[in-house]
Amino acid sequence: MTAEQYLAARLRQALAEDPRTTELGVRVTVRGDHVLLSGDVASPERRAEMEAVIHDVAPELTVLDDVKVVPSEAPVGREELR
Amino acid sequence: MIRIAAVGDVHLGEDARGRLRPALEQLGDRADVLLLAGDLTRHGTVSEARVVADEFGGLPVPVVAVLGNHDHHDDKPDEVTAVLRDAGITVLEGETATIGVDGRTLGVAGVKGFGGGFAGKCGSAFGEPEMKAFIRHTTDIADSLRIALDSLDTDVKVALTHYSPVPDTLRGEPPEIYPFLGSYLLGEAIDATETHLAVHGHAHFGNEQGMTPGGVRVRNVAQPVIRSAYTVYCVEPAVVEV
Ligand SMILES: [Fe+2]
Ligand SMILES: [Fe+2]
Repeated sequence: MTAEQYLAARLRQALAEDPRTTELGVRVTVRGDHVLLSGDVASPERRAEMEAVIHDVAPELTVLDDVKVVPSEAPVGREELR
Repeated sequence: MIRIAAVGDVHLGEDARGRLRPALEQLGDRADVLLLAGDLTRHGTVSEARVVADEFGGLPVPVVAVLGNHDHHDDKPDEVTAVLRDAGITVLEGETATIGVDGRTLGVAGVKGFGGGFAGKCGSAFGEPEMKAFIRHTTDIADSLRIALDSLDTDVKVALTHYSPVPDTLRGEPPEIYPFLGSYLLGEAIDATETHLAVHGHAHFGNEQGMTPGGVRVRNVAQPVIRSAYTVYCVEPAVVEV
């Protein structure tokens, strides 16, 4: 593994285990000075919390945040199983 | 026709209070039951369980849930379960729920499930005590799922789990972590019991549709997968009856 991969693993672990986030459903990709976050969370506040945890572990990285708040509207249509 | 609404991995906390409720208000027109496939909270705390209870309590249809790994994180699964039950939500762990719909019956057997992996690529109860404990947890849960499904004598039988019974619905997750996402032992229990549908969550990057080796439909209803407040599956008892 490269240093970037170890760093990404450490950041992923921090997001999973830090009580502020406990987020396992977010992808973490490190490229040079940038860390890309992607996936879905349940509220807008959780994006800021994740950025704070990343900053604590790796303050030198610039965070690119592609995380979305998961849609919570009623579904369109339904599936008929036969 | 029995209309089964389902969602998992809503991961509610105080910050997400009320987000699903507007979509749930019309549920009575669209479904006969709502299944919750675990990871209802973020940390498994009692205060988060109260948010879940407020979100899914008092709905016009019965609500049947299993807990997920996040709901165990604070080591208070019994307290979390009690808060949900107080709100009228049925919480299953090796138990069943039976719901009458227009003279027909829907049976739901629920367990959290656990990891271990899928046939040919899985762990076994061998070696260190930690490994044996890991696999035995899966084996025990799969056994209780099989017993619960077996005990149901309903027109339609549904297996509700948090972890996946098949690898099909995990596509999109890294293959290296499949052993942490589910176990073929759950699928084996489903195939042994004339079950009509299996619903699970846990794999946020997985995909919705899959099938057991025995041909039972599997649906991953993790909210990031279905991308809505819930989704609805319609099962026609007359068609699926053998
Ligand atoms: Fe989850
Ligand atoms: Fe989970």
